[in-house]
Amino acid sequence: MSNATVIPFGPQHPVLPEPLHLDLVVQDETVVEAIPQIGYVHRGLERLVETRDYHQFIYVAERICGICAFGHSYGYAETIEKLLKVEVPERAQYLRVIWHELSRIHSHILWMGLAADAFGFESLFMHCWRLRERVLDIFERTTGGRVILSVCRVGGVARDIEASELAHIKDVLDGIKDEYNQLCKAFLEDTSVKNRLVGIGYISKEDAHAMGMVGPFLRASGVNYDCRILGNGAYGKLDYEPIISNDGDCYARVKVRALEVVQSIEMIEQAIATIPDGDVIVPVKHNPEDGAEACNVLEQPRGECFYYAKGNGTKNLERMRMRTPTAANVAGMTVALKGCDLADVNMIVLTIDPCISCMER
Amino acid sequence: MALITEFHPLEADKLLELSAQRCKDGWRLVQILGTNTENGVDLTYSFMKDNVIENFCIPSVKPEDPIPSVTGDFLVAFVFENEINELFGLSIQNIAIDFGGKLYRKSMDKPFTIISPEQKAAREKAAKAKAAAEAAAKAAAAKKAAAASAPKDPEAERAALEEKIKNMPPEAAAKVRAAMEAKAKREAAEAGKAGE
Repeated sequence: MSNATVIPFGPQHPVLPEPLHLDLVVQDETVVEAIPQIGYVHRGLERLVETRDYHQFIYVAERICGICAFGHSYGYAETIEKLLKVEVPERAQYLRVIWHELSRIHSHILWMGLAADAFGFESLFMHCWRLRERVLDIFERTTGGRVILSVCRVGGVARDIEASELAHIKDVLDGIKDEYNQLCKAFLEDTSVKNRLVGIGYISKEDAHAMGMVGPFLRASGVNYDCRILGNGAYGKLDYEPIISNDGDCYARVKVRALEVVQSIEMIEQAIATIPDGDVIVPVKHNPEDGAEACNVLEQPRGECFYYAKGNGTKNLERMRMRTPTAANVAGMTVALKGCDLADVNMIVLTIDPCISCMER
Repeated sequence: MALITEFHPLEADKLLELSAQRCKDGWRLVQILGTNTENGVDLTYSFMKDNVIENFCIPSVKPEDPIPSVTGDFLVAFVFENEINELFGLSIQNIAIDFGGKLYRKSMDKPFTIISPEQKAAREKAAKAKAAAEAAAKAAAAKKAAAASAPKDPEAERAALEEKIKNMPPEAAAKVRAAMEAKAKREAAEAGKAGE
């Protein structure tokens, strides 16, 4: 008769980019239960809204996480614009979409590199991160920053991208496509990779919906939900269908993210082809009304991020709340870990693409 | 399909019924948040289905008020409920995975209930601005009512106007006189129509 043992996983672990602790209740080599523990990087950033006015807080929002930096500034700015009933110029909306989709590309390629490193394919990890550098170079050319862009403002964006730069972005993305397709082949067709991913960490469509999961983690279990179909900003003007897989395992999650990179490249090309001329920002000087509330959702690389803002009549907000995708996916992760082999724990945890800095703020 | 957001009040004893109904109807729990106010903590539950987000607010929850957990319907709520219990000091009960106050590493108790001097100053400023705006609106309304009810003395009004414009340039003064005469004619015509 086997006894249950509790094995600690994290907070420091070679496969975890950020601290997360799991108490794994294990019988023989099978995980019976996984109890998460977080709180290692809680910074109380939401309270800074009391001492920073709503223009200044955008710099705090984009520092919640390095990978989702632009996404948080975009989502925050959109929420405040809803609160203040500000109309953002169309060109600014397109520019935001271009930068946001570039963020998605770099985030997914970064994650694919980490996944390759986790299953021991180091050269694939190096190639992924080398390819990602080309996207970071685009960020540096267009905004001055590689990770924290500081380009989104309440009312629009701080910088324009000239036509010649837009053409350069298109050229770089065309150059990335062939190399990226070769990397995808390694991820999706290599037998040794498939052995580590196929059939591992299965979550059914019903469980995925019941657990409130979001993002590629959700879509890999066959649920068709992507916030971009709501048409906020310039997303409503682009042609696009969510990428879905019905397999629900780790391989499906890798496949969804891999295909989303190609889709993001196509969306950026569409945006570049149809971006209108005009202003990129409108001045915003008024304060939100006392008691005014607004909420918004944005599809970040890891999934739906929910923003809530409440005004108090002054330039400081009464409350700002960001519910990030990883917070919604933690419950699903505990379900995916049940019944898996101990050796598969790191792959399952990685395939939810956890961003602990975002989750804890 | 555009995003639709709604805000509704909720009583604490209706929470479980709402949660069960939403779960049955295929809604998703998006998040639970707390907002610190002077009367307690406002708890907001957000549910989403298709393109609609409904936000339900239970106002002024005190630490001693027992709030039932919704993890029976939405397991994902355990993260938010633990966070609220720790950061706001509330008593959400029967959470499926309860960290017992050890979710975050904190240096103080109930950190989100502390009203900072900056927030206090902002609230006082907002209250003063609101009171001043209300007083100004009240005064303006009273002045308008007094002007409407007071009997009109055209001679006195003309004398007051002449007094005001005596130092203006002649062209500007002539324009003002012409505008006042046109207004008087218009009011006379309206009074005549009303009399008919």
